[in-house]
Amino acid sequence: MRVTADTREQTRLAILDAARKLFVDKGFEETTTRDLAGVARIATGTLFNYFPSKEALGLELLAGECAGLADDSRNSADDSGVALEEALFALVMRYLRALGPLRPAVGAIVECGLNPFATPNGAAAECLRTTHLEQVRALVSARVRQEPSFLAMHLYWTLFLGVLVFWSRDESVGQEETLALLDQSTRLYVAALRGDGNSKEAQYDA
Amino acid sequence: MTRELGELLAALPPEADVAEADAQRQLAELIAGLAQRPTPVNRLARFWVLGSAHAKIALAYLVHWIRSSYLSADALDRDRNEVQLRAAIKLVGSMGYLRGVMVKVGQTLAAYPHVLPKTYAEAFGRLHFEAPPMHFALVREQLARELGDEPERVFAEFEREAFAAASLGQVHRARLRSGERVAVKVQYPNIARTIDADLRNLLALMAPLRLTRQWSSLRQLMDEIRVIVTREADYASEALFFERARELFRAEDGIVVPRVVRAHSTSRALTMEYVEGVHLEAYLRGNPPQAERDRFGERIMRASFRIAHTGRFWYADSNPGNYLFMRDGRIGVLDFGCCREFSAEEWQYYVETLRASVHGGEALRRAVLRGAGFDPEHPPSEPHERFLVELGEWYSGYLKHEGPFDFADEAFIRRGIEMLTLIGRKGYFQSLPVNVWISRQLLGLRALAYRLGARIDMRRLMYEESAHLLEGA
Repeated sequence: MRVTADTREQTRLAILDAARKLFVDKGFEETTTRDLAGVARIATGTLFNYFPSKEALGLELLAGECAGLADDSRNSADDSGVALEEALFALVMRYLRALGPLRPAVGAIVECGLNPFATPNGAAAECLRTTHLEQVRALVSARVRQEPSFLAMHLYWTLFLGVLVFWSRDESVGQEETLALLDQSTRLYVAALRGDGNSKEAQYDA
Repeated sequence: MTRELGELLAALPPEADVAEADAQRQLAELIAGLAQRPTPVNRLARFWVLGSAHAKIALAYLVHWIRSSYLSADALDRDRNEVQLRAAIKLVGSMGYLRGVMVKVGQTLAAYPHVLPKTYAEAFGRLHFEAPPMHFALVREQLARELGDEPERVFAEFEREAFAAASLGQVHRARLRSGERVAVKVQYPNIARTIDADLRNLLALMAPLRLTRQWSSLRQLMDEIRVIVTREADYASEALFFERARELFRAEDGIVVPRVVRAHSTSRALTMEYVEGVHLEAYLRGNPPQAERDRFGERIMRASFRIAHTGRFWYADSNPGNYLFMRDGRIGVLDFGCCREFSAEEWQYYVETLRASVHGGEALRRAVLRGAGFDPEHPPSEPHERFLVELGEWYSGYLKHEGPFDFADEAFIRRGIEMLTLIGRKGYFQSLPVNVWISRQLLGLRALAYRLGARIDMRRLMYEESAHLLEGA
């Protein structure tokens, strides 16, 4: 039977729907490709025609939820005129909001597929990373008046992933612990970027 | 130095002050002294001892960054990396929540002269707590969680910049849809839980003290501190005290307790009527006439007596930041986060002591001995007893004074400082826990009245506000 582009797309969406449900309800690590195939009503082998691994599927899911953030001009306009700490905080909050429906699964997906030491996990992961870091680079360049180095971007990425993983498992009311962590992480990052301790945090020395 | 002593000293001219840097050095010594083993005095080590889980995650990622940066960076980049690394480590060690717990605990412990050796309390007493400042993006998130929507939609207007720091948070001006101006107090996210968790760690750090004779008192007081911190962090509880206090005053009292806007208040966000006025220092810069200062002073005292003697709860935070001097002569009383209910036993003790203060003599002697936890029939040593009686007379002396009592009398304040210093020097620590609250408030009021230079007829005021308690005395 010939598989049309429409049918292929429908199958892909069915797999993503199955993943969205199972990763949240059952957990990313506990969900097997057999489970996914069952809910998507396809053969297990067919799944691999669409996604090379469960990790790649998870990352595709994350990238899809964040797709609308790439050119969110309204929110970017809101960031103009605010300090870098605040702009970064607002950017990450937009990602957290977009990923909200997947929150319980985000930590495991990130740890498997996005951490700096993970093996490359395909175009979706790279797209998510590149898109996000481009947004960060634009915010930094506009405020620090210099192009952030590779090192600076790497530091940002590790802090961002730390926040994502923490948020995913945050059991505090309204995930307020994540708010505090994100606030402190963005301040830490900006101060490190500037290479001095003269940010507002310096006054907090006990 | 106790917190009370610190307040009195702060009220005196600057030469009596202690250098901030010295206090910070002493704080470091305190930590070293408490641990008595390989000591976590550097910032990073303290961070590991006291830091909460999320901080550790941030640090773990920092370590990843360090490793990878050294793998990937060429030699030319290393110098710059090291600069960034040092800055980053310094900042990790000085993050707000760590500072928060040290300062909050310190400030509160300093209010307890009974258990802390002088050098410890002195370092603590000089520290002032402020939650980390929040930018608007964070305020917006916090309020969206608390009020169900972003502040721009909840309020007709909401100022992005805070206009005041508050206990565990900050305050923003806003306007309700009805047009009423309000002040919105927003709490820094998760700060109460962080402080509570870190208090437990701090207690563990104090373990070397457990074999000392002060340990049980220290444990008891650490529990009291946790109650205070928990209460200060609960704006819903504060709203109740606001409302109880507000009901106690009539227009002719000239005392304003802001109305709480319940619809926009939760345990972490408190919206209240905006009160226009200036704080003490700004008020004094205008060289106000004596009669006006006397009237403000009397209103501050009256507010305190009314809340305690009619409202039957204790407002123990009479620092200048909690009063607003209004242009029309009224005084605004703000911040009810540090209030405490009297238990039945404490109330009875308080009323008996109040009556004894009016009588003086043997009644006062017996009251101060009971307040210090002694049976009047089996008093402590003669010098100790004499000290307690003199301290009681200093506290209550103005009730025997006919006509306006001059709080600007520096000798009066210095006498109090001498006696409070003796508590630490002589080891006269024993006292009922409720006295911590009572003395904190009374001394705070005295420091305030001294700085205001007010002359107040305290005896008349006491009878006006306390006749129902003094009947039969």
